[in-house]
Amino acid sequence: MMKPPAEYAGVPLPEVRITTNRLLGAETTEKILNGLNEIEHIRQIHVSGESLPKTINSGPNKGLDNNHTERRMITVCGNELELRHMVGSFYIELNVEDEEMLEEAAGKIKDVCDAFIEHGFTLDIGRYSKYRPSLRDYRGV
Amino acid sequence: MSYKRQFYPGESDPAKARRRIMDPKVKLRKLRDVPMEDVVKLMGHRNPGEDYKSIHPPIEEGSEPDCPIRKLVTPIDGAKAGDRIRYIQFTDSVYFAPVSPYQRAWMYLSRHRGIDTGTLSGRQIIEVRERDLEKLAKEYIDNETFDSALTGIRGATVHGHACRLDENGLMFDAWQRYVWDDEKKEVVYVKDQVALPLDTKISVGKPADMADVKKRSTIFRVDGVDMRDDKEVTMYQHRIHLLRTLGGYQPFKFKGE
Repeated sequence: MMKPPAEYAGVPLPEVRITTNRLLGAETTEKILNGLNEIEHIRQIHVSGESLPKTINSGPNKGLDNNHTERRMITVCGNELELRHMVGSFYIELNVEDEEMLEEAAGKIKDVCDAFIEHGFTLDIGRYSKYRPSLRDYRGV
Repeated sequence: MSYKRQFYPGESDPAKARRRIMDPKVKLRKLRDVPMEDVVKLMGHRNPGEDYKSIHPPIEEGSEPDCPIRKLVTPIDGAKAGDRIRYIQFTDSVYFAPVSPYQRAWMYLSRHRGIDTGTLSGRQIIEVRERDLEKLAKEYIDNETFDSALTGIRGATVHGHACRLDENGLMFDAWQRYVWDDEKKEVVYVKDQVALPLDTKISVGKPADMADVKKRSTIFRVDGVDMRDDKEVTMYQHRIHLLRTLGGYQPFKFKGE
C-alpha cells in the first residue's frame, strides 16, 4: 500500500500555537518564518489563515486575475514559496525531550513574535493537530 | 390617545445609536463627500454619463392598468421613469462597524420608500430603481454609517466581516477591493463592488479612531458594551423570546400578554 505524502511524528510532540490579533501580511509572515528558522528543536511549522484566491472566484468577473498584493512569493530559509493566505496562526511542532527544552524553545518563539507582531498575539502550548495519518491522508493516494 | 413612535429600548450607547439611526427625523452626520461619478463607478451598473436603461415605459405615458392602489401610491423617480432595479451591498465588520446588517434593514425601511432590502450575517443588500439607488448609495457612503476600514462595498464574495482585521486595521477582503494608502493614511478603492479593476483610484477617506467608532457603534459586544448590562434591552429580548416560543409551541399558556 502507498504511503500518504504528509510526514507525521507518530507521537504527540508538543506544539506551540501562535494566534495573532490581526491577520498578517506577506512581509511580516516572511520575517517571522525566517526568525523561527533560527530556533532549534522545531520539527515543522504549519501556518493557517484566510485564503486568498488566485482569480476572482465568483460573480460577473469570475476568472479575472485577483492580483492580491499579499498573495506572493516569499523567501523562507533561502527557499522560494508561494504564500496563498493572510496568516492568522502558526502551529509549531517541537522535537523536545523534556519540559526545560520546551520552555526554552517556547521562550525563543515568543521573542521572535514580540519582535515582528505589532498588534499582539496569544501563545499556547499543547497539542492542536493530529500526529499520525488518518483515513483523510489516503485520499487520492 | 396619540401614539408616539418608539424605536428601541435601553439606555446603553448601542441602544441609543440604534434609536438614532432608525429615527427618520434624525439627520445622519455626513463625514465625507465621495463624488457621484465615483459612486456610480464603485457600483459598476452603468458608466458615468450613460443613460439609464429602462424595463418599462415611463408611467406618465399612461399604459398602467386601472388600479386603485397604483393611484394611491406616489411612485419614486426611478419607477416613474421605468428604471432597472440595481443594488448596492455593504459588509459590516463585527469589530465595531458603525452599524451592523440587521440594523441597516431597520434603518433603510424606516427612512426610505420603494426599496427592497435583505439581511445576511455580515452583509446587507439594498435594491432600488437605479437613479434612486445612486442617490441612496451616495448618502450611505458619505454618512456616519460608513467607516472606510470597517465597512466594505462588496457585491459578491463578502467573506471577511467576522475575520480579524489586517495589520492596517482594515476588514479582510479576499478580493482586495480596497487598499491602505500609507502616505495619505486613508483607504482607497481599486476595484468596484464585483472586483472589476477601476481606471482611477477612489478615496473613501480616513478610518475613524477605534475609540470613537466603539462609542457610536450599534453593536453589543462583550469587549464593548455587553447586551446583558442593559437591563431594558435584556428584558425585551427575554419577552420576545418567551412570546415567540410560547406562540409556537404552547399558545394556551399565554397569560395577560
